[in-house]
Amino acid sequence: MIIKKIINYIYGYLRIVVEGYYIERFINICRNRNYMMWNIKKVNDINIALNIEIKHFREICKIAKKTQCKIRIKAKRGLPFLLNKYKKRKLFALFLILVLGIIFFSSHFVWNIEIIEENGLAIENIMEDIQEAGLRIGTLKNDIDTKEIINKVRLERDDIAWIGIELKGTNAIVRLVKADEKPEIVDENEYCNIVSNKNGVITKINAQDGTANVKVGDTVSVGDVLINGWMEGKYTGIRYVHAKGEVEARVWYTMNKTIPYKATEKQYTGNVETNYGIKINNFKINFSKGVSKFEFYDTIETENKIKLFSNFYLPISVVKTTHEEYGEVQKTYSMEEAKKIGIQEIEEELESQIENQENIVNKNINTYENENSIDIYVTYEVLETIGTNEKIVF
Amino acid sequence: MKKNRMRKLNKILEIPEEVYSDVPKISLIGFDEMIIENYKGILEYEEFFIRISTYKGLISINGYNLNLETMTNDDIRVTGKIESFDFERITD
Repeated sequence: MIIKKIINYIYGYLRIVVEGYYIERFINICRNRNYMMWNIKKVNDINIALNIEIKHFREICKIAKKTQCKIRIKAKRGLPFLLNKYKKRKLFALFLILVLGIIFFSSHFVWNIEIIEENGLAIENIMEDIQEAGLRIGTLKNDIDTKEIINKVRLERDDIAWIGIELKGTNAIVRLVKADEKPEIVDENEYCNIVSNKNGVITKINAQDGTANVKVGDTVSVGDVLINGWMEGKYTGIRYVHAKGEVEARVWYTMNKTIPYKATEKQYTGNVETNYGIKINNFKINFSKGVSKFEFYDTIETENKIKLFSNFYLPISVVKTTHEEYGEVQKTYSMEEAKKIGIQEIEEELESQIENQENIVNKNINTYENENSIDIYVTYEVLETIGTNEKIVF
Repeated sequence: MKKNRMRKLNKILEIPEEVYSDVPKISLIGFDEMIIENYKGILEYEEFFIRISTYKGLISINGYNLNLETMTNDDIRVTGKIESFDFERITD
């Protein structure tokens, strides 16, 4: 029945009211001629309402005349009437087709590149490399050869363990796995020196292979040779080896900071101004004036690409600009407060640099008071094993 | 004679009777819907009373809010609150 109704809707039908005294005769004649009628309803003694197909209307009019009935059209329903109604709106139809065409056309391009890094490890400049390899915003999807791009990017960079490109709708999803950085390993068979990688004072030196170049108590700076990769024998002469050994040194981590007693601090007032704009490729349209009414403000710009479905991006994006007002608040510290703040800041920073907290031997804090600020020097003394291998170049 | 033979064949093939003959088939769904197959025409149609002629006789339906929902060449659907219906046989 539903199918019948849909077909009727497509072809269109009329609801008519027949008025007369010989309505039964009228119905029977129509039935004999195989005209479809449905939803027949008696309105009152001499009126019935019924639905008929459009194509039979003329014939039905003739029958009505024969049976001395009057016909009144109550409603016209169906697609033909609907189309007729919108016949005058040619421009609307034109634009509808145009928009559909543009959407269809634009679905062949890549409009968004999404980079997903495994484990959240950011890889720098990967976007530029991918674009250089050929995956650019606005290229035809058919022109993109993912295999070739992957090969190009992998050739270009050596910090990528795996790369995969997936084209989904107008969205290109690039998945990356960052490779672990390999430490530079000097081959066991190659001759090398041990050189210092930190400044400090040697406290212990123990050369297993090679000749110690420094003594306990010596001050070394970065790049100084600690253990030479050669051995000298009385009879054999100089023989080169792969230097091995352990060097421990006292290393100082120093940091200084000047804390003024009077500081201006940002404090957000909570007033927010939001502007919207539309960006098509690089052409931007702002909906409101660009100048903010605030005196001091931070600008935060977020760009959202418009997408029709989850992966169907359009080359249009909405730019939301938020101005957050802040006021400048003057703060005065006493000397003690400034000292405390400064020391805490420096300690946090230094302790993040030191690998082993247990090896801290000594902590030294010096403060120098000035007229309107305080200088703070903090020094950590740490016992560390130093030294890295360096190949001997002949 | 020939008719009888056809009838026998159809009975063997289990074809429904209303398909090959003029016998009307009346189905009642609930008390609100009635489908009459193999009808001839409508004799009277009021909101409370419908008379339908078939090849075997007349069917009169009493009720209220009676509508002729669909009318096709061989069946008619009457909806509404049906209270009673009766038949008038045509006697040969």
